Amino acid sequence: MTVSAIEFSRLGPPKLQLFAMKCDKCGELSPWWERSHCYKCGGDSLSEFELAGKGEITNYTVVYYPPREFLGQEPYVVGHIQMDEGVNLPAPVMGVDPDAVEVGTRVAATLRRMKLGHEGDIYYSYKFVVDDE
Amino acid sequence: MAVLTSYGAYVPQYRAPLGEIQKFYGRPGRPRSRGLATPGLDEDTLTMAYEAARQALKGERGLGAVITTTQAPPFELRKMSQTLGLALRLDAGAVHIDLGANATGLLDAFRIAQTLDVGPTLVVATDHLVSYRDRVADVLSAGAATAFVIDPGKKAEGIATLGPQSRAAEEVFDVWMLGREQEPRFRLEVLFDAYARATGAAAKGLEKVTERPTGKYTSICPSQPHPQVLRGLARLGAQPKQLESTQFVGDIGNVGAASVGLALCLGLDASRKGSTLLALAYGGGEAVAQEMEVTRKPKSVGAREMIDAGEEIAVGTYYRWTEGRQQQPH
Amino acid sequence: MKVGVLGIGKTPHKIQHDKSLQDLAVEAGRKAMNDAGVSPQDIQMLYVGNVGSVGFNYENSTGLMVAHHLGVVPAGAVRVEAACGTGAWALHLGCVAIASGLYDTVMVLGCEKMNDLATVEGTSIIAQAADSKEEYFSGLTFPSGTALTARKYMQTYGVSEEDLAHTSVKNHYYGARNPSAHLRFECTVDEVMKSAKVADPLKLYEVCPMTDAASALVLCRPEILEAQANKPQVFITATSMGSGTWYQASDTLDDAYNLFARPVERAYEMAGIGPDDVDVAEIYNSFAIQEPLGIEGLGFAERGDGWKGAEDGSTWLDGTIAINPSGGLLCKGHPLGATGSTQAVDIVEQLRGTAPEGMLRKDAEIGISACRGGPGSVGAIHIYQREG
Repeated sequence: MTVSAIEFSRLGPPKLQLFAMKCDKCGELSPWWERSHCYKCGGDSLSEFELAGKGEITNYTVVYYPPREFLGQEPYVVGHIQMDEGVNLPAPVMGVDPDAVEVGTRVAATLRRMKLGHEGDIYYSYKFVVDDE
Repeated sequence: MAVLTSYGAYVPQYRAPLGEIQKFYGRPGRPRSRGLATPGLDEDTLTMAYEAARQALKGERGLGAVITTTQAPPFELRKMSQTLGLALRLDAGAVHIDLGANATGLLDAFRIAQTLDVGPTLVVATDHLVSYRDRVADVLSAGAATAFVIDPGKKAEGIATLGPQSRAAEEVFDVWMLGREQEPRFRLEVLFDAYARATGAAAKGLEKVTERPTGKYTSICPSQPHPQVLRGLARLGAQPKQLESTQFVGDIGNVGAASVGLALCLGLDASRKGSTLLALAYGGGEAVAQEMEVTRKPKSVGAREMIDAGEEIAVGTYYRWTEGRQQQPH
Repeated sequence: MKVGVLGIGKTPHKIQHDKSLQDLAVEAGRKAMNDAGVSPQDIQMLYVGNVGSVGFNYENSTGLMVAHHLGVVPAGAVRVEAACGTGAWALHLGCVAIASGLYDTVMVLGCEKMNDLATVEGTSIIAQAADSKEEYFSGLTFPSGTALTARKYMQTYGVSEEDLAHTSVKNHYYGARNPSAHLRFECTVDEVMKSAKVADPLKLYEVCPMTDAASALVLCRPEILEAQANKPQVFITATSMGSGTWYQASDTLDDAYNLFARPVERAYEMAGIGPDDVDVAEIYNSFAIQEPLGIEGLGFAERGDGWKGAEDGSTWLDGTIAINPSGGLLCKGHPLGATGSTQAVDIVEQLRGTAPEGMLRKDAEIGISACRGGPGSVGAIHIYQREG
């Protein structure tokens, strides 16, 4: 899972602030990687849309054989999170028992270390934890 | 008078069993704490700061300043306060200050927050001490984060008012390096006398300024309840019940810059309107004492529950994936 | 064979730090679709040429990535790779798709994002397009391997470095007139001779820069283009591909000649023309010596004489045949996967009459693009014709 440091700063996941992409034409929300194309209406212009960070688990898996950067954290849960704003995002969910994950659990986004990058730089992005509010 | 408007804490859920580590390194004797609060492999001082701040802010963004204090910033060249501010979506025009660290940094930050003219200030103390492998059983170190919002405005209302501070310092060199040897040649206990002298002097100095005897505070919140410190406080009239709710080192270890913050969070969680708190931080030969008076019973942030919860980690796995990182800020 | 060129598009060819591989590909693809007057859903197959995304960008599966971000899903998409001949190979597959009758409208797109990495890194990635563990173990790289060919040419035909320098002078003359070129400065023979040595006898002005770019064509069945009389009627009338030497050390001048001579014979047959019918040609010249070799291989000059046209004017814009009026790879740069498709776009612009003035060959009716790849491993010939 080595990534290009430069490409990571241009594209890649939300680093410190979680967002989705909103179609300038039809308003549909897409995940953050849809910078070019709206799959709902075919529109070719989308803008960043801030997400509040709350949602619920709609699907999940438990990883036992991680990529290099996640070694030591297995087994860990990766879920599909339906954000309250209506967009679906994949992300690790921390602090849940891998044997007892429940679809429907409310979660909140938080900041976590994703990997060490080139020259010791650190890449941060979002993961989810159970929302107890 | 500056006011505390909200606070938050974060203690990672994992515990490294200290006894096991001591055995491995052939260091007999009673472990100082049951287990060390250990950040997960995907956590560090920045992510813990984020968690604590998230709890304290609850979505609030209109802050004039962010001050962070830690011994272990994750970046070498980038400011932690700035990165934290970005992650929390705070006003980009806010003042961002990284304070150099030791256990007194949080109280220094309170003092600075009182003097800034930019509006409410977020102060975060977060730490994950980088330990020396050759020191006794400190291979894995404890981490936690605490966050406070200070409003210096004249019309500010909040949970507690910030009273005066008092400081005392001992002239000591970087004596803790003496403990780096595999088998120390000096009796390190001698150094602990400095704890007692400095904290006692700071507490005594505060008595003079506030005219409130040390024994009369509802809670004393020390960064380190070392026996020497406690003896010094007892001499000033402190009672065990003042320290009942604010102890944590025996449970999760020393959390560096966040220690006095965590003691304060525990004190605040247990307080009600009219409670008085004495925060007492000691680090590197300096002691700072700070008075606080609770004006409105705060909603508990659950610091004690965070401390009591604890999932033992597999030390071998953890050490395997962090050994390289022990040399770096974590 | 007859394949309609419905639309073309390309990005600027230069270092573009603010653009990712995805940005470049989407830009070129959209330009081509707009020019063609089609929407993404009209594209029935997508061929994406890209050589080094694994090395330069730490990503793979470029074809699938571009298909998604262009919105051509659910049409099929695939990545094409054949070293520096990649873009031409994508074009070939697009032509075959149309000529087979299985598809009406397809897109061919070449893209490369080379400049996130430092030069030393980039050179090593490029070296992987040759046999880096055996031959390059001797310390050879693409420039130095080609330099050996240049010296052989000079020795065999008694040609001097000054003689060869005219090729760079001509290419730079037109590069300066090409708004989308990477390098846009003229130079004299003297300046070429004085430019820094890269790999003797090749000098700085005789080698191409590393470039970020993408270019694309929408191809269609000829009837579809013919039915739109208001569109320029430019067709691809031949596509002929061959392979050659994999090891630079065993690459002889005969091999270099045959790399184009063999496929171009088939190409002329397919198109029903001969070398004298060609008005304009884009000949792969990441290193200047490849232009004279290509001129000879395509039958525009006798062996050993290919360099002369740059000196006597016969391969300049208004000469017998305009060779590389775009400035060639020397000035456009060599964005590995896009070079072949950019050559095609440039020839189509010549035949449409829309190439920028100063580099437009007037009344061009027949054009040819010749692309090569690897140490001497890919020969790719396409012939284009304007009708009406």
